[in-house]
Amino acid sequence: MESISKGRPRDPMEAELDRLFAAYREACPDPEPGAGFMPRLWERIEGQQSWTREFRRFTEVLVTAAAALSLLMGVFLSSREPTVSFYTGTYVEILAANYAQEAPADPAITPAEQEYFR
Amino acid sequence: MLVDFELVKRAREGDHAAFTQLVQAYRKRILGTIARLIGRPEDVEDVGQEVFLRLHFSLDQLRTEEVFEPWLYRLTVNAAYDYLRRQRRRGESRMADLSEQQVMMADAAAGSRVEQEEQRRRRVRETVQALLSNVSEQDRILLVLKEIEGLSLKELEKIYRVNENALKVRLFRARQRVLKAFAASQPKAAEAGGG
Repeated sequence: MESISKGRPRDPMEAELDRLFAAYREACPDPEPGAGFMPRLWERIEGQQSWTREFRRFTEVLVTAAAALSLLMGVFLSSREPTVSFYTGTYVEILAANYAQEAPADPAITPAEQEYFR
Repeated sequence: MLVDFELVKRAREGDHAAFTQLVQAYRKRILGTIARLIGRPEDVEDVGQEVFLRLHFSLDQLRTEEVFEPWLYRLTVNAAYDYLRRQRRRGESRMADLSEQQVMMADAAAGSRVEQEEQRRRRVRETVQALLSNVSEQDRILLVLKEIEGLSLKELEKIYRVNENALKVRLFRARQRVLKAFAASQPKAAEAGGG
């Protein structure tokens, strides 16, 4: 075993600790695995795999449902008539257009107006 | 390596028989390491199962077959660390915490030589576990791998993927802390050593 304190004089307490570690190594030998070790391990692996499969199936269903719902919403919204009209021109263009609608076709000056501007 | 790379490759590709062979080849060694890391024989198999379970589900992440052993040790270290942390949280009563009278009664119950030997081993385990409780779980695992399992710094470097000097510093500090606790637990021996 590689020692970190290699090269310096050993403290008796350090040597004692090393002996204790060696005794610990001996007091904890490699245990013999029980007969049920492998079957239990495969049982746990299969249990986890089936849980993962279930979870994957659940998420697949969830994703499919979400995609279908989004598609339906898209179709529904695109098939409806737009209720709100949006302005596409600038403020001045829209003002001019509105003025043209409101103004009479022949903007002749009335006698009252002539009187006023005189 | 206890097995050839081909077996690891087959297990990685999902061959159940190869995986079973792999577990059978390593389980005794891994259970031994776990026994020394956690110091509780009754829980060794459970932690061992956890290691091989994690191995099964992470084999596909293994870059090459050559790094299989450090990989397996890393899984062992992680499982032991999780176990030790759970134990600390639970704060279970251990033999080291029992009164002197209870320990004497347990000793008296051990009549035969085999039982006495088992009692002696138990005392050694409890003493070392009590000493190791003076350092963090991570340092304790590192110290056991180095001082008791006998892994080299190079091997530890592969397991931890940490620079050798950083490992040396950490090991030295952990050992000093354990040594201090050991000296404090043996005042007579310390006096004899110092004088």
